[in-house]
Amino acid sequence: MSILDHLPQFIVSGLTTGSIYALIALGFCIIHNATGIVNFTQVDFVSLGGLMMYTLLLSLGLPLILAFVLAVVAVTVVGGLVERLAIRPARSRAVIILIFITIGVSILMRGIFKILWGKNQMGVPHFSSETPITFFGATILPQNLWIFLITFIAVVALQFFFSRSRIGKAMRATSFNPRAAALMGVNVNRMILFSFALSGALGAVAGIIIVPITTLSYEIGVMLGLKGFAAAVLGGYGNSLGAVIGGLLLGVLESVGAGVISSTYKDVIAFSILLLVLFIKPSGILGYGDTERL
Amino acid sequence: MWKRFPKYRSTVALFVLAAGIVGFPKLIPNPYYLNVANIIGLNTIIVVGLNLLVGYAGQVSLGHAAFYGIGAYISAILTVTYGVPSWPALIVAASVTGLIALIIGIPTLKLRGHYLVMATLGFNLIANIIIVQCDTVTGGPSGFPGVPALSLGGWTFDTDEKMYYLIWLFAFLAILLALNLAGSRVGRGLKALHGNESAASCVGVPTKTYKVKIFVLSAVFASVAGSLYAHYLSFVSPKTFDIFFSVELVTMVIVGGMGSIWGCLFGAAFLTSLPNVLHSFDEYKDIFYGLILVVILLFVPEGLIVGVAQRWRASRTARPKDQPGLETDQAGPRDLAPPQEKVNIVGSFASQVQIAPCEPILRIQNVFRGFGGVMAVSEVSFDILRGAITAMIGPNGAGKTTIINLICGVYRPSHGTILFQNRSIERLQPYQIARLGLARTFQNLQIFDNMTVLENVMVGLHAKTNNEFLVSMLHLPAFKREETQIRQRAMDALAFFNLENHADIPAYQLSFGQQKRLEMARALAPNPQLILLDEPVAGLNMTESLEIAELILKMRSQGISVLLVEHDINVVMRISDKVVVLNYGIKIAEGSPHEVQTNEDVLSAYLGGAV
Repeated sequence: MSILDHLPQFIVSGLTTGSIYALIALGFCIIHNATGIVNFTQVDFVSLGGLMMYTLLLSLGLPLILAFVLAVVAVTVVGGLVERLAIRPARSRAVIILIFITIGVSILMRGIFKILWGKNQMGVPHFSSETPITFFGATILPQNLWIFLITFIAVVALQFFFSRSRIGKAMRATSFNPRAAALMGVNVNRMILFSFALSGALGAVAGIIIVPITTLSYEIGVMLGLKGFAAAVLGGYGNSLGAVIGGLLLGVLESVGAGVISSTYKDVIAFSILLLVLFIKPSGILGYGDTERL
Repeated sequence: MWKRFPKYRSTVALFVLAAGIVGFPKLIPNPYYLNVANIIGLNTIIVVGLNLLVGYAGQVSLGHAAFYGIGAYISAILTVTYGVPSWPALIVAASVTGLIALIIGIPTLKLRGHYLVMATLGFNLIANIIIVQCDTVTGGPSGFPGVPALSLGGWTFDTDEKMYYLIWLFAFLAILLALNLAGSRVGRGLKALHGNESAASCVGVPTKTYKVKIFVLSAVFASVAGSLYAHYLSFVSPKTFDIFFSVELVTMVIVGGMGSIWGCLFGAAFLTSLPNVLHSFDEYKDIFYGLILVVILLFVPEGLIVGVAQRWRASRTARPKDQPGLETDQAGPRDLAPPQEKVNIVGSFASQVQIAPCEPILRIQNVFRGFGGVMAVSEVSFDILRGAITAMIGPNGAGKTTIINLICGVYRPSHGTILFQNRSIERLQPYQIARLGLARTFQNLQIFDNMTVLENVMVGLHAKTNNEFLVSMLHLPAFKREETQIRQRAMDALAFFNLENHADIPAYQLSFGQQKRLEMARALAPNPQLILLDEPVAGLNMTESLEIAELILKMRSQGISVLLVEHDINVVMRISDKVVVLNYGIKIAEGSPHEVQTNEDVLSAYLGGAV
């Protein structure tokens, strides 16, 4: 069988992980737009989403939808707490200090997860049946479809939130010019808080929908999260459309690359593509170069 | 005493460090601590190099664990597989790592901010996976065993203690070299590009080259540490060089204090020993580690060494009298007038050849520059006369600052030529143009906030001086000679602008008027042929404006050609020899002040319609 026959399969699995990357990348972008930083706890929001789902669904035996909602709410609250306890009290507003604060919080959170959930690997059942569907030669699990659907809903809802709602508009204003937004009566601190909460929710959704088709552990979000960061950079850091495009592109390219060359070099391929794109276009696919004004 | 002899401070500190290094093994109760001390020494070597990149040049790399690993693996493979003696292997490893850093650095350091972070992180991941996958060469995930101990003339470094002295000798040298570099012309250039890359380039710092060079240098430091590591532990594992170690390295820089070489030593010592200290907490140790990190960054963001030192100094200088130089702040605008007895820095450096005016020093020919769909400058041509004051005026948005940015190389013209002393400069980088003898001030002040007042002026002399990396790091005789000249010249420039009492305070503490003078001092210090002044009197009161006008006349009398961009028509008309008027990116008039004042196009552009 030639590579070409496998192509639909590669694309389907690429779009699946790509959707996850896109959701995570969106989380990175939202916080970047509000604060200018890279929030590395995004990685742990993903892990926590999956871990909460495991506990609510399997340990507490809650129904799927309830477990889903509660897991998202829990991580949303955690996102807000990260902002309140670790970002807002910071004495320095320097971007690099804030970034390393999030790295410290990330280490802390992973330490807590390791104690609460242990180091062993866990499994979470699929949302619906596990009978695959064949479609143009590709085998698609119903869970893949759930991932596409939920990602699509999340992206559309986010778009509506930012373009229609009062808070969404205020958050956008904050990202363009926090001082001007504050002068117009926007509570900038609250917008930053919301952005952490929203990123938490997005990370949780990503973690929840991916765990049925992967193995869950306390640090599942780390590699996924780094790829999400890569996707956000690839699309143009801070650009939401770029984040979605970057996520899907990275997912598909890495899946096809792994299929064509070797799956052991999957990550090498993904990051090599990223570096190549950056060397050609230093501000990502949809990003604008930031220039210092003189 | 500390204050009186600041230049001996680091020498004393180095002696204390040397004594501490020699004394430590005698003081410890348990040889286990030597092992920790050795790892601290290795990390210090990497972190000191990384601090030059992150703390000085402001370029964050999350890829330095890879350079550490590449150094370690090359040493291991060369000595074990190919039987190369260990010291030549260390040098080969450092050279190859430096070369890899150069190849990676050239495209990567074009990236800024988060993009740079991601790219270096990606490089680290790729390097790590390649090391794991090339298992026939590297031993794959299980590591590479059997690296021999280092030896030198029959002496083998085969115990923790012997290795301790070797590692710390290297760490000491790393600190010494880094301190030398940090306090040099190169160090100031790096700090300037951290503060503001474009402005640094305009004062003559070759920013792109410097970024790549310091990246390579820091990679070589990491590689040497890696080689020592391989020989010390006799075993190399890919896990040691993963991205988490890269993150930890930068954390050491930050916790110690960015831009503080001594902070690095502390950061490395603190974060390397912390897991050992927390060992008793067992499974809770990650939590404590993260918590301690967060608390430090939250409350002492300057870094522990820098932060504590600052607070100690602040508590000692709480009384206002102790604050150097601040009392002259109240002197008001009068102190702007250059007193007669001060060294006249305008024109005191270069030969003053008298040249007949009217010969152009700079010619702008059919220059066009658009931004997206906007024509900022359209087919503009005019000459700047040698030894004269040429003024460029026009309403806001006329393209005046764009022309200045085109002249000094920040922008490139879409088409058209710019000739400086008959040499075409429109394709040159700003630092190259600065070297030709062109200086500028900025409309929005571009003071390097992260440097002292004196350093700001010293960095202004970058274009006219030559000490580069090697000379600076080794403190060769040429270094001292030039450094003394730079300092003297900068102090003269500060004295001329009545800022000498503020020389050692951070530049951001100056008032607006003082910062304007500082910028002029910085621009005039290298004694340029042509100076571009972008709104030098904006925001100043009338007395101050007149004093600046006097000063501009003085520049002319010393043979410096001036391009003056200014909204203050009184100043312009009084001192200019020639006036060029722009409106919407088009030159609408050119001539003597009188001609321009009576030109109808000018009147309608300025006063709106018929007058």
